[in-house]
Amino acid sequence: MGDNNKAIVVNELDFSFREEITSQPGGENIKRCFNCGTCVAGCPITEIDEEFNCRRIVRQILLGMREEVLSSPAIWLCLECYRCYARCPQKVNFTDIMRILRYLAIKGNYVPARTSAQIEDLDRFIQEIRCSFIKHTFKPEEKIAKEIKSKIDQKLNTIKSYHRGESIPLSNGRGINENRKI
Amino acid sequence: MHKRVLVVGGGIAGIQASLDLAEMNIEVYLIEKGPSIGGRMTQLDKTFPTNDCAMCILSPKLVEAGAHPYIKIITNAELENIAGQAPYFEATIIKKPRYINEEKCTGCGICMTKCPVKIPDEYNKGLSKTKCIHIPFPQAVPAIPIIDKENCLYFKKGKCRNCEKFCEMKAIDFNQKEEIIKIDVGSVILALGSEEFDATLKDEYGYKTFPNVMTSIEFERILSASGPTQGHILRPSDGKEPKSIAFIQCVGSRDMQLGNEYCSAVCCMQATKDVILVQEHLSGAETSIFYMDIRAYGKDFDKFVDRAKNDYQARFIHARISSIEVNPDTEDLIIQYATDEGKIKREEFELVVLSVGLVSSGRIKETAGKLNIELNECGFSKASSFTPVSTSRAGIFVAGTFSGPKDIPETVMEASGSVSGASSLLMRFPVKEIKEELPQEINIEGQPPRIGVFVCRCGINIAATVDVPEVVKYASTLGGVVHSQEFMFACSQDSQKSINEKIKEKNLNRVVVAACTPRTHEPLFQKTLQASGLNPYLFEFANIREQCSWVHQKEKDLATQKACDLIRMAVSKVRLFNPLSKSTLAINKKALVIGGGVAGMVASLDLANQGFGVYLVEKEADLGGNFRHIHYTWNGEETQNFLTTLIQEVKSNKMINLYTKSEIKEITGYVGNFKTLLADESGRKKEIEHGVVIVATGAEEYEPTEYLYGQDDRVVTQRQLEEWLGVSEERLAVDAEHHAPATDPLASNTGHRQLDIHSQLQGKNSQIMTSNPRVLNTVVMIQCVGSRDEERPYCSRVCCSQAIKNALKLREFNPKLNIYILYRDIRTYGIKELYY
Repeated sequence: MGDNNKAIVVNELDFSFREEITSQPGGENIKRCFNCGTCVAGCPITEIDEEFNCRRIVRQILLGMREEVLSSPAIWLCLECYRCYARCPQKVNFTDIMRILRYLAIKGNYVPARTSAQIEDLDRFIQEIRCSFIKHTFKPEEKIAKEIKSKIDQKLNTIKSYHRGESIPLSNGRGINENRKI
Repeated sequence: MHKRVLVVGGGIAGIQASLDLAEMNIEVYLIEKGPSIGGRMTQLDKTFPTNDCAMCILSPKLVEAGAHPYIKIITNAELENIAGQAPYFEATIIKKPRYINEEKCTGCGICMTKCPVKIPDEYNKGLSKTKCIHIPFPQAVPAIPIIDKENCLYFKKGKCRNCEKFCEMKAIDFNQKEEIIKIDVGSVILALGSEEFDATLKDEYGYKTFPNVMTSIEFERILSASGPTQGHILRPSDGKEPKSIAFIQCVGSRDMQLGNEYCSAVCCMQATKDVILVQEHLSGAETSIFYMDIRAYGKDFDKFVDRAKNDYQARFIHARISSIEVNPDTEDLIIQYATDEGKIKREEFELVVLSVGLVSSGRIKETAGKLNIELNECGFSKASSFTPVSTSRAGIFVAGTFSGPKDIPETVMEASGSVSGASSLLMRFPVKEIKEELPQEINIEGQPPRIGVFVCRCGINIAATVDVPEVVKYASTLGGVVHSQEFMFACSQDSQKSINEKIKEKNLNRVVVAACTPRTHEPLFQKTLQASGLNPYLFEFANIREQCSWVHQKEKDLATQKACDLIRMAVSKVRLFNPLSKSTLAINKKALVIGGGVAGMVASLDLANQGFGVYLVEKEADLGGNFRHIHYTWNGEETQNFLTTLIQEVKSNKMINLYTKSEIKEITGYVGNFKTLLADESGRKKEIEHGVVIVATGAEEYEPTEYLYGQDDRVVTQRQLEEWLGVSEERLAVDAEHHAPATDPLASNTGHRQLDIHSQLQGKNSQIMTSNPRVLNTVVMIQCVGSRDEERPYCSRVCCSQAIKNALKLREFNPKLNIYILYRDIRTYGIKELYY
């Protein structure tokens, strides 16, 4: 996200960035944003981590801050729940804009190509854990608790091994390359 | 046929239009779909930004419209069709049955006490109950009940008929049928109004699901003394006083999800008024307004907002919320919002008020369809910037929110504007002669004073501070007083009837009303005296509201004592009164209009079209004023052709005497007979005589001293930018024509004018102004320069729209241009929002 108080120098900005987003399906309405903050107020991610702020990302796009946006881990935090879009009074489709940003980040080599699949995989994993937790809340069982713990440990190991440069076995059994084709 | 106009819609717009027309002796048919005239204004507690009591302003107008010999009110009626062309229209009206004979009913109300069926009270937005046979609200005009057929036991099951049994006038008529009425009229004014947004459509706010979420109009009823809680702020879930109240702005406005992209123009100020009133009702309660842009664009609106912030501790939070959640244990409401710094905050409130916008309803659209009136993309009557009170059909005019959201003062202005248009079409018709029949004046010569004192509670406006029964008792002890009593609202029609009865019953020969201000209400009571056979000048007003209860809210005992003193003075004074009679004085029917801008010219033409002579005085050599510098409107309308035509019309109108390069030296005389001394540039003087004055002197653009203005060529005002863009556009058009042979004589005119404007711009920012706007890469617009600061604490209301208009125009020159607008609130109120 960078330092919030840093001055933005207009001449260093990339004005083609917002046009690029606007020209993509889903990005059409971004210029309509009037900064009301409805997206932030309802965002389930911002509630957990204020570093993720969709209004700020939209403003950065409109100002032409290509580097800052595409290199930021923030664009990978979005849950794609579409709540921001559903409540936006100007119909800015932030969720689809996020997809465009992720695609551009990969295309522009800001992140490794596999990032997309990794995040997808993580989301699936978290849903799994979430379901287990909810069941455990209704009916606490030692068996479920153990399962949760072992799944988390497994996941942490997988991520560690990925950083050692080993290939990542995805939970649905397909390899990364295969997954990307889909 | 004689002069006659149809006014459709009995809200404040229709009432004001009817009264203006009636004052010109034009016969008015005022039709209203509901059982009483009054419209939405009857439901409002106070009006912004003065916190005047809404009903107190409206009620005398209701009574006046109800009693005016030139106004025929048809309630419970809808307009079906208008055939023909101006000024020969035939209107078809369907009058629905009320099941009461309006001629026979006296409005005594006995039927309502005997009716066994209770139904939700529409006037209080269903927050309380009323009877199935009911008068919609105490000050209703006509003060005649209506039977709700859907709920009536007789209509449902064939039994009851209680109302019929107890009505002494035999006014109940269950057999009443729909009536079709046809009327010939010369012109029509449509004041169809608008409706509130249905908040259930914004389901994420939980309206109707969570009991403590209510709409702003329901909250108005809660604040009102005549509302379901008698003016006590109590929340619906448990009837307790809420300690914290949140107001959510733009509910149903500025929302593409709902298809309502426009701004409703009144809600920001309504909420600001409400937070102030909350403090007056519930001192110490916390109030918060969640807003996107505060649109305090009108006269004194910004001061009002500052008052709410500084003197009434209201929080204005720049955030739009995503949803409202509920705490099921307490029924408190949870609101999560993002601060400007990007922090998430979560707060609980005991009551939430949704500021619902104004919308055009299906019924309004249907009526417009039947009449062949074109609507704009927002569902409101389509109007040009230059003829805002005209519709797409000649001879049919518009006033009020039917042509877009607006507040009461603008609605009233439009009403008078539409009257000017509607009446000028009737020049060929004679006036209908109506002689007011007043009873023979009672000769009181030699009689000892017999004074009646009537004390008004004014809902809670007076009664919450002044002990009214105590004052009534005191008044009865004063010398000459033979009768004293109180009223909930002394100005209502039934109160007039009651005063009339008391005058006759007790042979009163002097009357004192202790209520509000004689400025608005004295004529009403004088009329009542006249109708009772008393000379209207045997009347005295004691103002125990503005001069007592409102200013001494915290000193109740002293206020009661002061009210007694004021009444004692009024009684002593009225005792000495003698009857007076009016004499007629000739008046000069010419008008002086000062200022030859668009306002002055349109006013002059309207007066001339109504047959009045006009002196139009302009200090400059040319007419047009500020408008000469406007090259295009925000919605792309041509401006300079409009101006040229307008100037030609003014110059060629024989009723208008034009004095350019002239100034006013002195105005003497009085209403109806003024004498004015004019002087031209060489000092030659001329005296003119006229009956009225219209001041349309306009305002000037602020000349900045800040932001390098005047020091750097590249810093210009919005007007200079507009001049440049306008001229550049013409130059480019001329350049394009040079490639083809220029045969159009207009083209050479255009080039000529371009030179004129260039010479005006010389010396100031000349370098930038002669270049092509296409050379620009980046433009920054700075808003509120010289506005909303300490010296000028008001919004100039045009700059936001002007900036957006110019930004869009710049983009036409160069679609890749980068434009930054630095603003505090973007104030594109009403349907201007579409261009934002």
